[in-house]
Amino acid sequence: MNAKRILFLSVVSLWIAATAPAALVWEKTTVELNPALGAPSAVGVFKYENKGNTAVHFKGAPRTSCGCTVAALQKNEVAPGEKGEITATFNIGDRTGVQMKTITVETDDPQNPTTVLTLKANIAQLLELQPAFVFWQAGEEAKPKTILAKAGKGVTLKNVEVTSSSGDFTARVEPGPAGQFKINVQPKDTGKALNATLTVKPDAGTGAAKVYYAQARVMPPGTAKP
Amino acid sequence: MIATSNVQRPTSNVERGEAAAPFSIGWRILAIIIGGLFIYAGVIKVLDPVGFAGDIDNYKTLPWPIGVRLAFYLPWLEILCGLALITRVLYRGGVFILTVLMAVFIVATIVAKARGLDISCGCFGHASQYLSFAWHLALDFLLLGGLLFLWRTPLPKDGATA
Amino acid sequence: MKTLLRQSLLLIGLALLPAAGQALYYRDKVSWQTPVAASEMVTLPQAQSWSADTIWIDARPQDEFEREHVPGALLLNEDRWNELLPQVLAVWAPEKRVVIYCSSESCGSSREIAHRLRKEAGLTNVFVLEGGWEAWKKEKQ
Repeated sequence: MNAKRILFLSVVSLWIAATAPAALVWEKTTVELNPALGAPSAVGVFKYENKGNTAVHFKGAPRTSCGCTVAALQKNEVAPGEKGEITATFNIGDRTGVQMKTITVETDDPQNPTTVLTLKANIAQLLELQPAFVFWQAGEEAKPKTILAKAGKGVTLKNVEVTSSSGDFTARVEPGPAGQFKINVQPKDTGKALNATLTVKPDAGTGAAKVYYAQARVMPPGTAKP
Repeated sequence: MIATSNVQRPTSNVERGEAAAPFSIGWRILAIIIGGLFIYAGVIKVLDPVGFAGDIDNYKTLPWPIGVRLAFYLPWLEILCGLALITRVLYRGGVFILTVLMAVFIVATIVAKARGLDISCGCFGHASQYLSFAWHLALDFLLLGGLLFLWRTPLPKDGATA
Repeated sequence: MKTLLRQSLLLIGLALLPAAGQALYYRDKVSWQTPVAASEMVTLPQAQSWSADTIWIDARPQDEFEREHVPGALLLNEDRWNELLPQVLAVWAPEKRVVIYCSSESCGSSREIAHRLRKEAGLTNVFVLEGGWEAWKKEKQ
């Protein structure tokens, strides 16, 4: 009789514990950011509230998926009913496109010991170079090769200015289809190894003066493909 | 130079270390050059067996498990046969095997090109990559021709051991 | 004819010895059953068996690179992609292979770098090291 009661009570309490709502509730576990063109970093804020009736503690600092993202706690303990936030700073660097970085938070909340927060950043691109690298084999005909300069989403390119780091390569810009620009690169000759960095300055009418780079090379002799 | 008895026999009796009249210095030089070429080709492949395995695979004639084992074996065979040509030890066997290898390789190359496969020879490693296909084939036929010449030269009476 | 056969068989047999020795040495470095998949991953033994002009790229943050890196590796990460890319492009050639590694902390990075090198710079033969920096460190011990 006693054993059965104990069993019954344990099952009931287990059931209550398992289905009890989480103490720490997050307003959003994914935050989407649209940093301005050329911004060096983007900040996402993850808000939480302790809706339980015991204090919740964070276990250690949050872990981020890459060294480029740092996340800071306001404080370790969250009292019942208290609200707070975790700030995540994403250092964009030279990243492009849609970037997803995660922040993993550990707590002593039995319902939700681990929470993964996601920072989604849409990195605006002023310009995209396709490709960013052109090369000629040694002895290959020194015909011009084209790099296409495409405007980023929502950007209109007025012009593109290209300078070569070495006189061995010439770069001529001409307008292309659909508001793009064609950069025609040509080496003076393909008899010896040459290397140049092309500096591309887009003019999109915005104040942002961001510079892009492309590379041009003539491969050294003796390494030609079959 | 050397008084040879039994001149009517195509292969002459030679004393150890002395060349028979028909086996002149010219043939010897040819043997050394061709032998040296095969040793060179073999060594290059020994240094990068995985690369050679890939080259064999490009011909799409042999299944990979066989091709990869051949990639480890063939270069050493080439080297030994090349040595055979130079030292004249196991000379006939060396010429014979190299001739067979060249013939098979030339056929495989022509067939692969006919199938439109992208093969980068692999025979002389990537040093020969800048030779066009025609030049490659010409070089291969030249080697085969040289081997056939060596095949027909009178040889020292075999019995010489390593 | 008999001599010819004997000599040929002797050569064929003798060649087996160094070949078997070499195959033994490479037994863990080669895929014996299937050709290397066209995937982008490469194991450390495979990458180490490649020729000496393979380009090694470190995709980790700069401070990790400066602390220690594979000898001869070039740093290329997304923080300073624009600045670091030219030095990689300056040494690349179509017949060279590129091996990228990162640490388990930043392991999405190698694949990102590989993807960008293929897509933006049009490079071929770009591979990601399986096990990353940790695999290389462990092998060195």
